[in-house]
Amino acid sequence: MTGRPSRLFLAMALTVVLTGGCGSNDERLTVFAASSLADVLPDLADAHRQAGGPDVVEVLGGSNHLAAQLGDGAPADAFITADAALLVGLTIVGPPIPVADNHMVVAIPTGNPGGVTSPDDLRRGDLRLAVCATGVPCGDATAARFGYLPADTEEPSVRAVLSRLVLGEADLGVVYATDVAAEAKVVVPWTQEQACPCVAYAAVALSDRGVGFVEFLAGQTAQAILTYHGFSTR
Amino acid sequence: MTAPRTVLAAAGLAFAFLALPVVGLLQRAPWTSLGELLGRPAVAEALMLSLLVSVLAAGVILVLGTPLAWVLARVDIPGRRLLRALVVLPMVLPPVVGGTALLFALGRRGLVGQWLDAWFGLILPFTTAGAVVAATFVALPFYVVAVEGALRLGDDHLEQMAGTLGARPLTVLRRITLPRLLPAIGAGLALAWARALGEFGATITFAGNLPGRTQTLPLATFLALETDPEAALALSLVMLAISLAVLVPLRDRWLPGR
Repeated sequence: MTGRPSRLFLAMALTVVLTGGCGSNDERLTVFAASSLADVLPDLADAHRQAGGPDVVEVLGGSNHLAAQLGDGAPADAFITADAALLVGLTIVGPPIPVADNHMVVAIPTGNPGGVTSPDDLRRGDLRLAVCATGVPCGDATAARFGYLPADTEEPSVRAVLSRLVLGEADLGVVYATDVAAEAKVVVPWTQEQACPCVAYAAVALSDRGVGFVEFLAGQTAQAILTYHGFSTR
Repeated sequence: MTAPRTVLAAAGLAFAFLALPVVGLLQRAPWTSLGELLGRPAVAEALMLSLLVSVLAAGVILVLGTPLAWVLARVDIPGRRLLRALVVLPMVLPPVVGGTALLFALGRRGLVGQWLDAWFGLILPFTTAGAVVAATFVALPFYVVAVEGALRLGDDHLEQMAGTLGARPLTVLRRITLPRLLPAIGAGLALAWARALGEFGATITFAGNLPGRTQTLPLATFLALETDPEAALALSLVMLAISLAVLVPLRDRWLPGR
């Protein structure tokens, strides 16, 4: 028993030394990004580093949630939001730059357990439909694109809708085109045009150090990566 | 007993730490527009649903939790320690994980859920019944711990005596054990009910979020935080008032043996 506390202490001390010892924390950029960018952001961060930029610490979450955190003083160098209106009231460096668009599509679990065949199925009572809640960007975009839908659940984020489809709890759901591109367990039941109303991402620097990253996002390399992941770029 | 000053100071610090967030909530609350905010139909809907879900959960907890507490306290079963650990697990598990686990077990494609669907056409997620299941899952351990604690602390002399006088076990349970257990049952039930009322993570993960069907007060509060912070604060006040109204009259009752 005597050896245990000291070993525990040693482990704790070692953890502190190892994590604190990296010392590069201050050189990294903290980027807050809408959760629908979860799949593309690591690629963007890699390309940014290869172009000679600093490492990126990714903080993903609902845009509203992130904006509220930033408003309360959360430290970040850049913010990519799914709703530019959320930037009101934040202290920003330079103007917001449009990054890409994303489109809402109707998606189903691979294998189509609900037998979904046409847009009419969105309003069929016996199928289970998951959408984003109104008030969050994906929910507002869903309502703008499809009008009122008799959903069985209104999820707080598009990732939650996606997981309903992946787990087979919902027969159909409205998600981003990029989600379908990234998730093998989810497909579109019919060809859907990339039409707006849609979600327009805007990037903004929150510190002088964030300016370079925002400029990088508007550049050719980043735009090509975004296109590859299914986003519409200009 | 007079308390040493250092102990008093530490206790005061701990109390301030717990009370300060409540004060913070109260001083930011939109007192002037409270009536208007709480008068909205959506708020009344969430409140009624929350009361319904938590009362139903408390009913299930009473019926299933009492036998479980009794077995854990009185019956010598192998692996009781492990059993007890499993029973209290939902108390320490992040509720979101609990909700996901419920999906894997009772969801439409879940271990048991797929058969519920196939045999009875019963699908729990996205239904009020699903919200009751989620609330029961997280709140049941609070009840079991309170009642089991009381059973273990209370001496079983009377029970043994009744047994030697020829009373059958079920009669002993009904006539002697349960009546003496009533205060603990009441306290445990109130605590579990309050926990069920505040349930968020397991509910939104397992049952989803739809006004009138699965959107309880905590879910409505969470979503309002993103869009309408004033309404969210008003909803929080309602939860706070209800919880205090239940917990204050209990006083020391949830301590076993009182």
